[in-house]
Amino acid sequence: MSEYAVKRPLLSYKFSLEIRQQMAWYWQAIILAASLLIGLLISGAILVAAGVPAGELLNEFVLYTLLDVQSLQSVIFQASPLILVGLAGCLAFRARFWNLGLEGQMIFGAIGATAITMWEVGHPAMRLPLMIIAALVCGLLWAVVPVLLRLKLGVNEIVSTLMLNYVAINFLLHLMYGAWKDPKDAFPYSPKYEAFELLPDVFGGLSLSIPLALVIAVVVFWFVSLSRAGLYLRFVDQSPRVARALGVPTARIILITVLFSGALAGLAGLMVAAGQEGRLTHSFYVGYGFSGILIAFLARNNPIAATCAALLIATLFVGGRSLQVFYQIPFAMVQLIQAVLVICVASSDFFIRHRIRRIQGGD
Amino acid sequence: MALISSWLGNTPEFAVPFALAALGLIITEKSGVLALGAEGLMLVGAVMGIGAYLSIENTPLALIAAMVSASVVSLLFALMVLVMRINQVISGLVLVFFCQGLSTWIGSQFGWVNRPVPGLSEFAVWGLADIPILGRVFIQNAVVYATPLIFLLSVWALYRTTAGLRLRAVGENPQAGDAAGIPVLGYRLAAIVIGAALIGLAGAFISVLSTKLWIANMTGGRGWIAVALVIFARWSPWKALAGALLFGCIEALIPQLAASGIKLSQYFVFMAPYLITLGVMIWVAVSKRDSSSQPGALGSPFIREERT
Repeated sequence: MSEYAVKRPLLSYKFSLEIRQQMAWYWQAIILAASLLIGLLISGAILVAAGVPAGELLNEFVLYTLLDVQSLQSVIFQASPLILVGLAGCLAFRARFWNLGLEGQMIFGAIGATAITMWEVGHPAMRLPLMIIAALVCGLLWAVVPVLLRLKLGVNEIVSTLMLNYVAINFLLHLMYGAWKDPKDAFPYSPKYEAFELLPDVFGGLSLSIPLALVIAVVVFWFVSLSRAGLYLRFVDQSPRVARALGVPTARIILITVLFSGALAGLAGLMVAAGQEGRLTHSFYVGYGFSGILIAFLARNNPIAATCAALLIATLFVGGRSLQVFYQIPFAMVQLIQAVLVICVASSDFFIRHRIRRIQGGD
Repeated sequence: MALISSWLGNTPEFAVPFALAALGLIITEKSGVLALGAEGLMLVGAVMGIGAYLSIENTPLALIAAMVSASVVSLLFALMVLVMRINQVISGLVLVFFCQGLSTWIGSQFGWVNRPVPGLSEFAVWGLADIPILGRVFIQNAVVYATPLIFLLSVWALYRTTAGLRLRAVGENPQAGDAAGIPVLGYRLAAIVIGAALIGLAGAFISVLSTKLWIANMTGGRGWIAVALVIFARWSPWKALAGALLFGCIEALIPQLAASGIKLSQYFVFMAPYLITLGVMIWVAVSKRDSSSQPGALGSPFIREERT
């Protein structure tokens, strides 16, 4: 190398990108972990800028949230609806369907379950199973329109699912400020559910929602990895055209998968209403739809990884709520941090797939 | 009659944000970058417009500040799609989430929520404001009058200049453009930044000139409606302007309906724009018009080393 080359400023070099064919798994893991760490550092910097004392950050998120038994319980508790929306996202994205309507499906799931309680359908002992069925069916029904429009007419599902979210939100507000408002006070909430309409606690103070979410995660894992539909789904994901040419019933597979996704989102709505709030409220859905999409993306549509990612996001939710109480930081901060984490993790893909080379002697 | 007159008079004010946002989206998408982030960039423009006004008390400068800040945030999107080559749908969605969080936080951090601003004064076009019924249409603020000019300028730049030709070439076939010596990523970056400035102006129009205050998530899906509008207009600026007027009519009708005391829950009225958007999407799909007007390389990243 000549002396001349050493003195050149960095930007005058030409860089080229090469595609890496293969990368050892531990390097991939290191890059992924580093990108997550960078994301967390950026998030920490944002929180400090928002007025959280730097020393308190570690306390708030690590010590209080994860090492304290009670808040660890609340993290796991918070994780169960997030696991469900994350799984719903995984399913839809595996079918190459951008289901951004998780929020709307969740709202209708919760409305369906609340309808059972409002109209007192069935014997009290049968009430909760009926609510679960209603939540699944209503979530599923809210996904029917966009998936059929996409399959029959080719209507872009990103726009249609989002528009239906806004319709669902306004319908929820209509109920909460109108017919279903609890007459006891001025808040836009439905009357409280009866005790037998709530998700009961099972062993050791854990709500039933957690084992339920885990069982469903296993079912989804079976569906995408072991079942015949899952095999077809991989065809559809890799190349819809080839799948159709090979005689895979593409449309039916997409339809079933997206409806499954909608049903799970509906069940997530029930979990928030009957598990956490104990009633239907006007804003119970806030943050879940986006989180479901981001969890699915972080997990690369893998149901087991989605369960882990949901725990991470649940920690953010719980930590974000305590920041809201102690430092008046809006809950939207959780959304900002989620976005930062996803950007960092998505960027790590670039470094895994490419090698940056400096071209010597180029001018 | 008074009802119809004020309805028509309010239409331009509701149509302008749709029109500007759709134009910004068209410019970005003509370069082959799928821009789903409009909702988020509008929010950034809206909060920064209010914030800039509250800090410097000058409305034109506040609008410019909103445009600049939306452009700055769009650099993050450019980093994601042009440099990191992240899936453009995911990048657009993440940008929306990012901006929703960012704008809500900034608004409450600096105490800009619910602080009224005066906006711009409205003035009448000489002679036209006296026309019966229609006259109210010609009493508007300066940005409303500037919107057709911005469209004229953009259409001229897109279709009558070399830069516009190259921008569209990059969106149709980046490999061919690259071979012809056009800096593909440079044109895409410029398209993202310019488009974001227009989208930011659309957001600031809503907050600074129309509602005259900031509330978190105040755009309420208008950015997504603009995305639908671009598909409906088949990436043609003039059709997008016509579509924006249609949606402006619908939005302007909502307060009129509320005022006229029709016995219908207000929330069902609020659903109307979203349902109509869905209806328009279905209509576009059923009529199966030619899809050749869509930029050929829309949504696919350009990577010189990865020949497809």
